[in-house]
Amino acid sequence: MSPKTGKKQDLIRRHGLVEVAEHWAVALSGLALVITGIFELPIAGRYYITDLPGMKWSGDFIVSLQIHYAASVIFIAASLFHVVYHGLQGHTGLLPKKGDLKASVKVLKSFLGRGEEPLFHKYLPEQRLAYAGMAVIIAGLIISGLIKTFKNVYAPDMSYTLVIWATWAHNVFFVLFVLAFIAHMAAIVIKPNRPLVRSIFTGYISLDYAKARHPLWLEEIMPRAQTDPLQGEGETPMQEAPAEEVPVEEMPVQEDSGTCTALRGVRDAREVPDAECEAEGDDQEDTSSDRKV
Amino acid sequence: MGDGKKRGITRRTLLKTTLTAAVSAGLGSSGHARTDSGGAVATLIDISRCDGCPGRETPACIQACREKNLQRVPEPVDPLPKVFPRGKTEDFSDRKHLTGRLTPYNYLFIHKAEVEHNGKRWSLNIPRRCMHCDNPACATICPFAANHKHKTGAVVIDSEICFGGAKCRTVCPWSIPQRQSGVGIYLQIAPTLAGNGVMFKCDLCHDRLLEGKNPVCVDACPTKAMLSGPRDGIHAEALKRAGQIGGYLYGSEENGGTATLYVSPVPFEKIDAAIEKGPGRPHMAPVERRMAKTDSLANSVLLSPAIGLTAGVLAVAFALKGRKNSGSEKEQKP
Repeated sequence: MSPKTGKKQDLIRRHGLVEVAEHWAVALSGLALVITGIFELPIAGRYYITDLPGMKWSGDFIVSLQIHYAASVIFIAASLFHVVYHGLQGHTGLLPKKGDLKASVKVLKSFLGRGEEPLFHKYLPEQRLAYAGMAVIIAGLIISGLIKTFKNVYAPDMSYTLVIWATWAHNVFFVLFVLAFIAHMAAIVIKPNRPLVRSIFTGYISLDYAKARHPLWLEEIMPRAQTDPLQGEGETPMQEAPAEEVPVEEMPVQEDSGTCTALRGVRDAREVPDAECEAEGDDQEDTSSDRKV
Repeated sequence: MGDGKKRGITRRTLLKTTLTAAVSAGLGSSGHARTDSGGAVATLIDISRCDGCPGRETPACIQACREKNLQRVPEPVDPLPKVFPRGKTEDFSDRKHLTGRLTPYNYLFIHKAEVEHNGKRWSLNIPRRCMHCDNPACATICPFAANHKHKTGAVVIDSEICFGGAKCRTVCPWSIPQRQSGVGIYLQIAPTLAGNGVMFKCDLCHDRLLEGKNPVCVDACPTKAMLSGPRDGIHAEALKRAGQIGGYLYGSEENGGTATLYVSPVPFEKIDAAIEKGPGRPHMAPVERRMAKTDSLANSVLLSPAIGLTAGVLAVAFALKGRKNSGSEKEQKP
């Protein structure tokens, strides 16, 4: 969490403990599912993977299936937990918004040095689109996987049409999942996104980074930070900053939540008109956060 | 199996199963054991009745099977694609004539065994083919659903979508499916890198079962050593026959149960010790259902949505309670 300058910097909470735990539960179990799913193909023996140290098990389809099942329990339970936990609390910040596709193209162009990227809410527009895509893929994997599992134990003679659909849907969604995972890794390699990586480990990002790149998010949360005593709960239940963080000055907070006053400095520097600011500010964004100072 | 204590036919069991057999329409006497119930079919193979068709160049059951199925295998491409990195292919196209083992062109063969039991010497002829297991791992964990257990009880490989990876043979306790390289869909994808042909085996004449007919091997048998019919009736008949001859059963419990029941006058341990075993010539030893090891975890998978949903609701309740308490505390502060 130490800033590059060598001194402590302000941090702001982007993800709560629950979200970080959800992410890693799905990510690590998903990785195990990908690996053991691949080993359900007859390739480990053919390609000498079984000859690698500690990999003899990879040629045993039953063992691979057992690990696949164990990882599935975590993957499915964590995914369903995520839907219920955030759905019931109305957390919609990661859901796609109108105009995200157009904005994503603009952001991608900016990564290539063409034009300036727009100001962001808590999440980037392509993050919201990617989330929706990954949600569809994971839902497809879970539904088809459950059908296959039920067939394996209770109904080996279930409708062949259903088995064909479930099996091939599972295979297609598997390929899409791997592609989405590669795209996910590629996104964090892009330099402007790298400071976000720390938040999926610690829950926090630099406040300066948030000011510069996610001012619309700060705009939404700052008024609440002063007026709403419950601010910061819900998606971000982690209330206290890690002990090693040294308190520094608080960030200025504006009272008038309907304007971009708090962001004026940022906007002035980037020549963003107020009209655009207000238009984007109309979106309902996930505003949960904790500011750590 | 084959163990007199384990598989012993008690009077009570015999009575019960005989009564069951009695109500099973069309069994035994008619020769056409299959009813129009549309349910799962099983086959009884009475080893005491099979004589191996002496005097025939090819036993009748094998002959009928080959006449029906020989054209199922397309002519493989020449040369066969190189299989990276091991280079191992399996080609029986120049050995189509083989009838003494299972091959991609031969789905039934007669296993011969000379066995001595209770002071009597037996020359046994045992028709061997796919057992059509009740819960066949070869079908359930095929990664492309190219192999499936149908309502008829037949386990059928769809040669149109089989890549010939031989996973089915690996998980089959008897290594029944046989591979022919150089044929099938893998030729259209990446023949060097993925797949290696098509797996072939007995399909219990699934097409005929759907028409209410017996498998051709059953109808062709001149000694009625094979019988096909509704599963319950066949099981009952097998128990009845085993009881009558003081014999033994194989297939009712093997790999969790199968649709093929062998009735033998001698223990199967002795048969297994006497038969020639190897590629295409399966054993007759006891078989545990290996997939049973995965069942408890599979049940956990099926419960996992409920676990996630419940945990989510509880976590929301916990979070709301925390917020409420937090709000109350702040209100009480001066």
